[in-house]
Amino acid sequence: MTKKNRLFLLLSPFTFYSLLFFLGPMLILFIFSFLEPGIYGGVEWNFYHDNYGRILGWADGEFEDFDIIYTIIFLRSLRLALITVLINLLICYPAALWISNLNPKLRNFFIFLITLPFFASLVVRLFAWMIILKPSGILNQVLISLHIIDEPILMLFTEGAVIVGMVYVLIPFMFLPLYASIEKIDLKLIEASKDLGANKFITFFKITLPLSIPGIIGGSILVFIPSLGNFIVPDLLGGAKVMMIGNLIEQSFLMGRNWPFGSALSMMLMATVVIFLLFYVRSVSKYENETETIK
Amino acid sequence: MTFIINIIQQFSKHLFSIYGIIFFSFIYLPLLTVIFLSFNSNPINMMVWDGFTFDWYKSIFGYSTMLDEDAIYLESTEQLLSSLKNSLIVSISTTIISTLIGTMTALALARFRFRFKSFYRALIFLPMLIPDIVLGIALLIFFVTIGIKLSLLSIIIGHCTFLSSYVFIVVSARLAGMNETLEEASFDLGANRFTTFRKITLPLISPGIIGGALLAFIISLDDLVITYFISGVGSTTLPVFIYSIMRRGIKPEINAIATLMIVVSLLVAGAGLYFRSKTTK
Repeated sequence: MTKKNRLFLLLSPFTFYSLLFFLGPMLILFIFSFLEPGIYGGVEWNFYHDNYGRILGWADGEFEDFDIIYTIIFLRSLRLALITVLINLLICYPAALWISNLNPKLRNFFIFLITLPFFASLVVRLFAWMIILKPSGILNQVLISLHIIDEPILMLFTEGAVIVGMVYVLIPFMFLPLYASIEKIDLKLIEASKDLGANKFITFFKITLPLSIPGIIGGSILVFIPSLGNFIVPDLLGGAKVMMIGNLIEQSFLMGRNWPFGSALSMMLMATVVIFLLFYVRSVSKYENETETIK
Repeated sequence: MTFIINIIQQFSKHLFSIYGIIFFSFIYLPLLTVIFLSFNSNPINMMVWDGFTFDWYKSIFGYSTMLDEDAIYLESTEQLLSSLKNSLIVSISTTIISTLIGTMTALALARFRFRFKSFYRALIFLPMLIPDIVLGIALLIFFVTIGIKLSLLSIIIGHCTFLSSYVFIVVSARLAGMNETLEEASFDLGANRFTTFRKITLPLISPGIIGGALLAFIISLDDLVITYFISGVGSTTLPVFIYSIMRRGIKPEINAIATLMIVVSLLVAGAGLYFRSKTTK
């Protein structure tokens, strides 16, 4: 068999699969976002831009108006996703630092312990938080028995609950990149910094933190994408009050039966993700250039 | 004064360990709560401990229990078992297909030079970077438009679109760490391409293939978002089924189902992680 034939043989399953079942669906999604919604849930094959107009503000379709609520939900999703990234970073960074300072044997064992619970099903992990946060739940009971509060406070179905849920579910996506970049730091640099008289804090801010920036950026992106488009967490822990883009998309598909509008929302979600990814690629390459000049 | 400084120093020494304990509690306590409550015999308020029982486990498998008749919330055990069966069919088929596609693609990209390599690389990473919900509805529209019925088949097709990429990454990492001179040595000693692949390449990358397959299996078994959109009537998987019960309220049986799921997934994941740590040494 010639080299060309072998390459063709190895690549053709993926090529076929990807063209048909990945690029195909994405193309149809794109086309749908420019079609007219039918009255009874189907689509009319006419070019129609009001799907985007309803979100961005120029809709003049017969029954469709621009509604500020879509902007509000978009901004809320962005805000909640960014808060989730930030809190996750603050929780995971000290843990990653702690584990990278342990001896190698313990280190692997602790990494194993940290990743293990996240193999439990997503629904199970969220169910646990429902039990903890509900009005008669564990957290309220503990707080009452400690006399911190007198009667149960509403914790489930708030933005806080959604943030806690997303932070919890996405911990490994932040922790692992952070740990990988902290662990890679050359110990000689830290020793050199100490020898030159810097204390622990200065060493951290001048050496460890700057060198772990790729991990921070990588983890942030990996947490940001699934939080922005999440609909399971806000659905179970946020209820009807804390709607995010994901819930809006789900509703326009399964309840509203307005597929073109749902497709337009998805395209907007993708556009947001792409913008953040471009920012990521740019900042990483910029960082690499900078460290290149240091060396 | 030195005493206070001493205390602060002692404290900061243990600061990380204290933080570690808090961090681990945050990770583990929620799951332990569920496991603990699954043995609570109080049918009215699951938050109040009322003695130890296995009744919730019996009730999800359809056995009669000492619990009040009204306390049986789960519509039918049959539904639960059929969703479990669906889940297993989907994840096993997905694992086989995506492991094949992912491994072949990884071999092609690691061992050959060709023009569209960077295009292929982008095409492999894209399904993992797109939000799940977008991929889910794109597949839904696609299946409905070209007339593929929403069934187990549509779920399997959907899962393979992104799980092939996961397998690809794991196998590629293994291929990158592999010593190519071993293959050359095999050729020099007169082995043909097939023998070399079977005797040298495959054994060396098999930890990667097994690791990728396990990862694909776990993710497929647990996938909710994409499956939620592309599963039809009668092709509900376990996560989708439990999600639909949870949406209707918090019921004590879910504790028992959840505990069983935790145990199974931890066993599979534990075995996988243990196996990986053995082979990477």
